[in-house]
Amino acid sequence: MTTPLKEQWKAGPKPPVSVKGTRDGLLFLLNEECSVDEIEARLRELLHGESAGWFDGPEVHVAVDYGSRQLTPHEQRRLLSVFLEKENFVLREWGSRTQARHSLYSHREGAASPIIHWGTVRNGQHVAAEGDVVIIGDVNPGGEVTATGDIFVFGRLAGMAHAGSEGNRRAVIAAAEFMPMLLRIADTYARPPEIDGRPLYTWMEFAYLSEEGMAVDKIQFLPNLRRQG
Amino acid sequence: MGSSIVITSGKGGVGKTTSTANIGTALALLGKSVCLVDTDIGLRNLDVIMGLENRVIYDIVDVSNGECRLEQALIRDKRFENLALLPASQTKDKTALTADAVKRIVGELKQQFDYVFIDCPAGIEHGFKVAVAGADRAIVVTTPEVAAVRDADRVIGLLEAERLHSPKLIINRIRPRMVKQGDMLDIDEVVQILAIDLIGIVPDDEVIISQANKGEPAVVRPDSRAAMAYRDIARRILGESVPLMSLEEKTGFWQRMRRLMGGRA
Ligand SMILES: Nc1ncnc2c1ncn2[C@@H]1O[C@H](COP(=O)(O)OP(=O)(O)OP(=O)(O)O)[C@@H](O)[C@H]1O
Ligand SMILES: [Mg+2]
Repeated sequence: MTTPLKEQWKAGPKPPVSVKGTRDGLLFLLNEECSVDEIEARLRELLHGESAGWFDGPEVHVAVDYGSRQLTPHEQRRLLSVFLEKENFVLREWGSRTQARHSLYSHREGAASPIIHWGTVRNGQHVAAEGDVVIIGDVNPGGEVTATGDIFVFGRLAGMAHAGSEGNRRAVIAAAEFMPMLLRIADTYARPPEIDGRPLYTWMEFAYLSEEGMAVDKIQFLPNLRRQG
Repeated sequence: MGSSIVITSGKGGVGKTTSTANIGTALALLGKSVCLVDTDIGLRNLDVIMGLENRVIYDIVDVSNGECRLEQALIRDKRFENLALLPASQTKDKTALTADAVKRIVGELKQQFDYVFIDCPAGIEHGFKVAVAGADRAIVVTTPEVAAVRDADRVIGLLEAERLHSPKLIINRIRPRMVKQGDMLDIDEVVQILAIDLIGIVPDDEVIISQANKGEPAVVRPDSRAAMAYRDIARRILGESVPLMSLEEKTGFWQRMRRLMGGRA
């Protein structure tokens, strides 16, 4: 039986610039849906405005990923110069498919094989993967799993799961014990309903995006859903 | 060469210091040489619970600064000949102690003691990192409350990151009545969430508080339920297999405990 999830909402628009810490330094992701003006303004504010102090200090390696957009040479120069004005920044990468962005995620060669994570995802831990991810263990409250593809939990999903994190609305979240705190598929969030004052707690179910929004169904229904699509 | 065990929890006030004092004393009574190390800088109270407060002259920060030798700072307990305490500093800044210093001091202590127990401060900041630095193993203490279990879960993840894998779990302050009424998480639930081995359950027991006020760990009392629980934990640390104590008369509970321990020994 399909249970539509009542309490759900859309993620706000992605910010024009997001900054991630990587093993080698900092990665700036420039949102491809924002105008160059908007991005430049945000960068100036970040790097040379009030928060500038955050980015001062010892030398740091910087990678900039501007997504799949096309930049004219003039636009490239405009954006680059904002970074070059920062004295302690050592620009290591500049492009649309940077290694730094790639390395944000766990990878496995061959598109079809999922990433397998062994063990409990505990409070404060975050597992992120490109493609599908399988968790052999529980995802505890405060734990988080993000995948660009599907998420399968062979255990109890009690934390937060975000499938289709790069926008794939066909991604699903499935768990053996299904009692998530918060679900997100692509840009849609949902909080599972409470039944008689207790949070949803079911077995072998999965969440997906239907035309009416996010819904939960028995795992047996998943192959059907995939065949239809 | 002895082994070092850090006792930690994340959440404050769940019984780290109580557990350190009682397990350490129990092991000393079983003939092992034991040193208790207090790393809760600024909030030291292991010496108070042990009734050794008036003998503190030097502390762990003095040792790390080279202001005294390790031997000078160690307080030998006159009541238990195998037991010593390295107190924390009450006055110095929290950052006065570094991870490297603790590693070095604990390493030295392991040369002369069978067991070194490190009492960790609450939280997951500097003090936590310092306390776990010298540990070979870890024991996580929680109470059967949602917030304490959440914090314990977080700490287990952080211990893994510090290469302290599969710590052991103590569930402290259990009140069978509340568990039965569903007002407290039960032991199975806690163990299922945290997914680590249980090394003991300790009932809520007034004797713990009255003995702490007397400056004498509860384990010396033959009759207290909590004392029995801590003695059992000490024996499990020595590798004995001791069944978990029954907290209530119901046999169903017993069997559940058996299964829990048996399945994970
Ligand atoms: N099993 C128990 N029964 C009754 N009281 C207990 C028990 N365990 C601990 N307590 C009491 O709880 C209080 C906190 O215990 P304790 O100081 O050992 O916690 P802690 O985790 O070391 O705290 P902190 O985080 O502040 O260092 C004390 O008053 C202690 O006597
Ligand atoms: Mg304490």
